[in-house]
Amino acid sequence: MHNIFKKTAIAGAMCLAAGAALAQGYPEKPIEVIVGYSAGGGTDVMARTAAPFIEKYLGEGASVVVKNVPGASGQIGVTEAANAAPDGYTLGTFNLPGMMARTIDRKADYDRDSFTYLANVVNDPNVIVTSKKSGLDTLDKLLEEAKANPGAITVGMSSLGGDDHFALIKLQNATGTEFTIVPFKGSAPARTALLGGHVAMGILNISEVAEFQDQLNVLGVATKERSQFAPDLPTFQEQGLDLVNGSMRGFIAPAGLPDDVRQKLMNAFSQLSGDQEFLDAMAATANPVEVVIGDDFKQLTSDLYDLAKGVWETTPWN
Amino acid sequence: MYNDLLHALPNVFALTNFIAVVIGVIAGIVVGAMPGLSATMAISVLVPFTFGLEPLVALGLMAGIYNGAMYGGAIPAVLLRIPGTPAAVATTFDGYPMAQRGEGGFALQVAVVSSSIGGIASAFALMLLAPPLSRVTLLFGPSEVFWVAVFGLASIIFLLGGNPVKGLISACFGVFVSVIGSDPIFGNDRFTFGRLEMLDGINIVILLVGLYALPPVIDLLETPLKTDGVNSSKLGTESIWKALPRMKSYWKTWLRGSLIGIWIGILPGAGGSMAAFMSYNEARRTSKTPETWGEGEPEGVAAAEVANNADTASALIPALTLGIPGTAVAAVMLGGLLVHGLQPGPMLFRDNPDIVFGFMWQFLFGAILLVLLGGSLATNSFARLLNLPRPLLGAVIIVLMLIGVYTIHGRMFDVYLMLGFGAIGWVMDRLKFPLPPVVLGLILGGFAEENLRLALRIGRGDPMILFQNTTSLILVALTIAVIVGPTLKRRYFDSRMKM
Repeated sequence: MHNIFKKTAIAGAMCLAAGAALAQGYPEKPIEVIVGYSAGGGTDVMARTAAPFIEKYLGEGASVVVKNVPGASGQIGVTEAANAAPDGYTLGTFNLPGMMARTIDRKADYDRDSFTYLANVVNDPNVIVTSKKSGLDTLDKLLEEAKANPGAITVGMSSLGGDDHFALIKLQNATGTEFTIVPFKGSAPARTALLGGHVAMGILNISEVAEFQDQLNVLGVATKERSQFAPDLPTFQEQGLDLVNGSMRGFIAPAGLPDDVRQKLMNAFSQLSGDQEFLDAMAATANPVEVVIGDDFKQLTSDLYDLAKGVWETTPWN
Repeated sequence: MYNDLLHALPNVFALTNFIAVVIGVIAGIVVGAMPGLSATMAISVLVPFTFGLEPLVALGLMAGIYNGAMYGGAIPAVLLRIPGTPAAVATTFDGYPMAQRGEGGFALQVAVVSSSIGGIASAFALMLLAPPLSRVTLLFGPSEVFWVAVFGLASIIFLLGGNPVKGLISACFGVFVSVIGSDPIFGNDRFTFGRLEMLDGINIVILLVGLYALPPVIDLLETPLKTDGVNSSKLGTESIWKALPRMKSYWKTWLRGSLIGIWIGILPGAGGSMAAFMSYNEARRTSKTPETWGEGEPEGVAAAEVANNADTASALIPALTLGIPGTAVAAVMLGGLLVHGLQPGPMLFRDNPDIVFGFMWQFLFGAILLVLLGGSLATNSFARLLNLPRPLLGAVIIVLMLIGVYTIHGRMFDVYLMLGFGAIGWVMDRLKFPLPPVVLGLILGGFAEENLRLALRIGRGDPMILFQNTTSLILVALTIAVIVGPTLKRRYFDSRMKM
C-alpha cells in the first residue's frame, strides 16, 4: 500500500515536472504558423514580416516557420489551425471579420470557441473614396446625392460579407441612405474601376488607397483617431459621422493551449507594438499596426461576430 | 523618367543581379518544359525564399523564370504535343506536325527566336509606355471586359477551323468547368458537393495537365514498339545561323503578334493563351497559304510563341501601376514585389526608381538571354528525351504530372481531379473534339460571367449598360465579324465562282 502511494507520488511529481519542463523549454522545436492564403498576399506578408520579431521576443533560439494552406478564402487554413494539437507548435493567422462571417454564411468546421486568441496585429481601417469623375468630392455631397436618389450611387468593394460590406451597412444605417453594391473580386479591381470612373464610390482600406490619393477623392477614414498610416486624412468622426470599421489580421492557436505557453506567446506578441523596426517593416508592406492581446482580442472577435450575425439576419448577402 | 531608366542600368549588371536573371531563365525553361509545372507555380514557390534576398536578385529570378517558362512550354508542345504551360497550347498546332516531319529542331529554333522577340518588344513597352498604356486599361470597365471575353470565346470557336459545332460543345464544357466553385458575386457554392477544395474553382493547370498531357501519355504507353511518326525522334537541327535567314519572312507575324501580346497583357485576366490564339488566328487569316496551317507551318509556331512572350512584361503594366495583374503569373509576382515593400501604384516609379526600372531592364535581358540559353538547352538536352524508349518517356511524364498537380495546393484531391479530366480528355481526343476551346472556355467563361454580373449591377439590372460606350460597341462589332465573317467570305467566293 505504502508502495503504491510512493509510486503515485513519484509519477505525479514526474508529470508536474514534465508540465513545467514543457513551458520552461518552450519552444524546443520550430513553431508552424498556418497562413490560409498564398505566399505574397497581405496576410502572408504580415506573418512573414512578424515571424523574425516573434522569434526574437520568444528567445531561446525559437524558430517560426510559415506554412501556406491556401483555399476557400482562408477557410481551409484556419480549419487546419483550429484542429491542430494545442501544444503551441501550431499557430494560425486570423482575419476579421472574414473568419467569423464565414461561420455565418456557410457551413464551417470551426466557431469562435475553437481558438486560443493570441494577438491581433494589423487593423486596416475602411475608407470611403469617390471617383474624380463622380463630382462627389465631400462626404456631405455624397450623402446628399444618396438621399436624393436612393440606390443611384454604385459602390465598388472587394466582396460581400467582408469588412467593406459591413462598413457600408453601418453607413446606410447611420445615415438612412441606400447604395447599390458592386462586389468585385478583390480590392485592386474595385479600385481600378473607380479610377476609370466605372463606379462612383468605393469602400476600401486605407493601405489600398494610400498610394492613390491624387487619383481618387478620399472622403474619410473609419477610425476613432487619425491613422498613423496616413495622418493627413480626416476621420469620419471629425466630420460628425460615427463610423468605425476595418479589416483585422492576427494570430490564433487551437483552443485549449496550456496557460504558460499562452502567456509566453502573448508576452512576445505584446512587445511587437513597441518595436520601431517592426513598425517600419509593417508600414513598408502596407500593414497598419494595432496590437490587441489575448482576452481583448477575443472580445473583439465576439463583437464582430455579433455584428456580422446581426447584418446577416436583416440583410443576408447570399 | 528616362533618366531614371538609365540610372537603374549599372545596378542590373552587378554580378549577383545578373546571375539571378541567368539562373531564372534556365529554371524557367526547365519548369515550362515540364508538363504540370508552370511559371505561376515556380514563382509562388520562390516568393517565400525571396524575403532574405536583395530586391533585384529576387526580381531578376522572377523576370527570368517568367520569360524562360513562356518559351519552355513550347518544348514539349513541339516534341510531344503536350503544352508545357497553358500559353503553349497554340504552339502544338504546327509545332508537333513539324516534329513529326523531322523538323523539330527548326520548330524549336523558330520558337526560341520568336519568344525572344516577343519578350523584347514587351519589355520595351513596359519600359517606355507603362503610364500611357495603364490609362488604356482604365477604359475597360466590367462591360468592356465582358465583351473582350465574348470576343475571345467567339474567335476560338469560329476561327480555329474544324467543326464549329464540336468547337462550341468543347467551349461549353470549358465554360461549365468555370462555373464550379463559389459564385463570383454572392459566394454561393456551385457543384462543389460540399468540398472545400472545390470552393475556389478548378485551377487551370489541373485541367490543362489532365486534358492535354494524359491522352498523349496513354498513346506513348499504348504503343511501345512503334513511334508516332517515322521522323519524330530525329530533330534535324542545323546551326542557328543557318536557320535565322529562313525566318526573315516572319517579320510581319512577329510585329503583329507582339502588338497583340502587349495588348492582351495590359487587359486584366486573359493572359498568354488568349494572346497566342489571337496571334495565330490573325497570322493565318492574312497568310497567302492558310491551308498549310495546322499541317506544320513554321510561321504558326512563330505567331503563337511571339505573342505568348509579348504579354509577359506588358502584363506587369497594370500590375505595377494599378495593382491589377494582367496574368496569373503577374499576380504572383505582385506578391513578390510586396514582400520587398514595393506597393503598386503611381508612386511606385517615383519612390523606388532604381528597383522598378532595374526590374524592367531585367525583363529585357531575360528575353535576350533566351536566345542564347534556350536554343542550345532545348536542342541539346530536352530533345534527347525523345531517344528514350517510349514507355519510359511516358512514365517519366506521368510522374512529373502528378508532382506538378500535387504541388499546386499540396493535396491529393487535385491529383484525382486531374486524372478525371484526363479520362474526359482521352475520350474527347478519340471523338475528335477540339481541346483548345475547353481551356479558353475555362479561362474566359468565369471572366465573362463575373464581369457581366458586375456590369448589370452597375446598370441596376438594365442590360443596355452593355452597349453604352464606344469601346463596348467596337468589341460587339468585332465579335459579330468573327462569327459571320467566315460564312460571308465563303458565300462571296462561291458567287464569284459561279459568275
